[in-house]
Amino acid sequence: MFYFDPNRCIGCHACSISCKQRHDRDADADDWRTVTHLERGEYPDFQELPVSMSCMHCHDAPCEQVCPPDAIVKREEDGIVTVNRDRCIGCHYCAWACPYGAPTYGDDGLMSKCNMCLGEGPGSGHGKPPKQKAEDGGLKLSCVDNCVGEAIKAGPVSEVMEEASEAAARRFENGAYNSRVIVEPMDEDSAAGMDDVADASINADDEGAAAIPAGGSDADGGASDWLNG
Amino acid sequence: MGVGADMRFVDYQNSEYIIAWGRNIFESFAGQWEPKGVLEALDNGATLVVIDPRHTPTAQKADHWLPIEPRTDGALALAMAHVIIEEGLHDESFIEEWTHGFEAYEEAVADKTPEWAAEITGIDAELIREIAIGFAEAAPAAGIALWTGVGQYAESQKASQNVFALNGLVGNIDRPGGLRLWQGPPFSDPFEVRDIDLPNNAADETPALRKYDEYADQPYRHTTGIGHNIVPEMVENGHIRGIYTHYDNPINDGNSEAWMNALDEMDLVITVDAYWSELTRRADVVFPEAIQLEKDTLIDYAPAWSAYHDRRWMTASEAAVEPLGDSKPGFQILRGIAEEMGWGEYIPWESEAEYNEDMLANVEYSFEEIAEQNYVILEEFGYEAWRENGFNTPTNAFQFDLDEMDAYVRSIEEVEEMEGVDLETGPQWLPPGTLGEMPDEEYPLHFYDTRSVFFAFGADQPLSQQRSQYAARHGLKSADYEGNYLTINPTDADPRGIETGDMVTVESADGAGELMAYVSERTPPGFLTAEFGFGEGVPHEEGFNTMMLHTEGVDPLSSQPDRHIPIEVHANGGDGA
Repeated sequence: MFYFDPNRCIGCHACSISCKQRHDRDADADDWRTVTHLERGEYPDFQELPVSMSCMHCHDAPCEQVCPPDAIVKREEDGIVTVNRDRCIGCHYCAWACPYGAPTYGDDGLMSKCNMCLGEGPGSGHGKPPKQKAEDGGLKLSCVDNCVGEAIKAGPVSEVMEEASEAAARRFENGAYNSRVIVEPMDEDSAAGMDDVADASINADDEGAAAIPAGGSDADGGASDWLNG
Repeated sequence: MGVGADMRFVDYQNSEYIIAWGRNIFESFAGQWEPKGVLEALDNGATLVVIDPRHTPTAQKADHWLPIEPRTDGALALAMAHVIIEEGLHDESFIEEWTHGFEAYEEAVADKTPEWAAEITGIDAELIREIAIGFAEAAPAAGIALWTGVGQYAESQKASQNVFALNGLVGNIDRPGGLRLWQGPPFSDPFEVRDIDLPNNAADETPALRKYDEYADQPYRHTTGIGHNIVPEMVENGHIRGIYTHYDNPINDGNSEAWMNALDEMDLVITVDAYWSELTRRADVVFPEAIQLEKDTLIDYAPAWSAYHDRRWMTASEAAVEPLGDSKPGFQILRGIAEEMGWGEYIPWESEAEYNEDMLANVEYSFEEIAEQNYVILEEFGYEAWRENGFNTPTNAFQFDLDEMDAYVRSIEEVEEMEGVDLETGPQWLPPGTLGEMPDEEYPLHFYDTRSVFFAFGADQPLSQQRSQYAARHGLKSADYEGNYLTINPTDADPRGIETGDMVTVESADGAGELMAYVSERTPPGFLTAEFGFGEGVPHEEGFNTMMLHTEGVDPLSSQPDRHIPIEVHANGGDGA
């Protein structure tokens, strides 16, 4: 589960660049983790909000459900959504289904996306042993590690919830963002009125996902579940 | 000038009231410790005020953003002082014991009411009052972060002096949460350690800037030995015949066209650099320097202000790989030059690591130990460092009035005569246009250069990942262009038929160039900006070197290039025109 605090994001794109470097991806390739700058208003009543997003490793993984060759797997053991590039046929169905625009496609036409640094490089998450915590030798997520403002966090739901504010936790429990990501509400004084803009962005176009029959929540299992535990 | 030290950073973590004055701390910082420190202060409930004509990510996070009229910072600062004194919120005992020239300051602000400043700055008088009181009440745990935003326009020395005086007024100098006097690592001078009496061949020489009559019209020559913008003229006059640059590119610091010609004219140009550019291509000798991964490095060039606001620290690393090609560590280059010049006896160290050991003569760690750990944190340093030896100024005090600085007084007198204006040595309001240019009919728009988070000055533009994110940040990643962008408000863009992604030509009285437009509400009408460090003269030649718009304009008191330039802009034709 990812956590994002727009109040602490300074919009610097260190997450995007460190992700590219961790996974050895060219500068001109599409980002696995993007920073979008949402703007509203006219000078001087202008607001700008940075939103950092990647694959959310959704509990209901709409991409997995539409993937014809079953190349995409929502892993039972840690909840990470991985792609088997040997099976991927480059059909882009996952791109249509994803509410976040997370899948990217290289010159080979094959899909790649965030694997929560389970491995390094496109497709490297597939078949890897369960994600370990950093203190047990797991690779710390490069976006989390390099975030200047500690705006991005990741881990099992229970752990991330502990870091979240009460308001963010309550919103998550009430099903905000389809319970796919925990997002802090905006500070009243500095970004009043931007919540709806952020919501619209983070909910993205959810039509693709909505068109998918609601799949069973397949990974809300045991304590070893790195993402959803 | 006020404290006799190059200090401009707030003790953020302990601050209750931070004013980012012409500073965009979240996008353009001296190190990640700056935004981290501000975020920590905000977590602790501090108030953040941003004073900037542009809307920035820092303004977005601020409690108050003051979209000030360009170049009117000095008026706002004087009005704040007026309020603080009127409310009796100034630090009387600090002023009494540790400052010089308060009477001149008091007199200068006596009639500078918030209502007066509101007319000039465009900031509501009540808001000025609120900020002044908030700042003074939080003091000494209140600080002003100030850098080039109020440092690089023609009237900026006076403006900076007015702003800086506020620190002395509320007594926040080197007190928790105020303006911090950082302390660097306790390095030793290796020459002293080895008892080497390094000769100073320039000791009895007068700098050419002061020696020759040709420069009598450069008033700053009394306070500084050299002025960036005048160098091309000095080359023309035969007073400068060569230059040695070490990871320093004068071409994008101002007067760019003349500088390129001057480099052609010089008898000898030696440069140590890692990239080809108009500088290195013009050099007679280019020494490619090894990068940090290729050499033993003790970071001794980092200024005192960095990373830890309460502790001294050091960082070092050993070479991970051999230098590529002919490149050598900078130390070896300098040592080789010294030997060739017959001064080898003065550089007895075989390697940088050996030299570093002598720098560490008074530290309990060896170079290897520091490199092994990557960094070591040393002892805590306290506050109020001035209690021991006062301030490093002619009066030994924090100076509101610079009347005891002889060189400054001479500069002031010369500017008065040249420009026909009355100048004070103390704080004073100088309206924009007093010493510099203002927009007019031909060039009706303000131009100012900016920094983005992706590039450190002119240095990181060659890195493709950074350029790509810079383009993505503007929604222009798909454009076949990785230069800088001209940010322009729709009010100015629409009548000129300019849209985001169009190539446009910017023109000043002194120069012109092309870059891509980015139309946005983040910049005010009439005020255009572009990122510094692109185009002709720098390693990443795509885009526009904004200093091509500039020739000799300076703040005559500080010698800083005047980066506020009146311009016109038009679309280049083609699809977007």
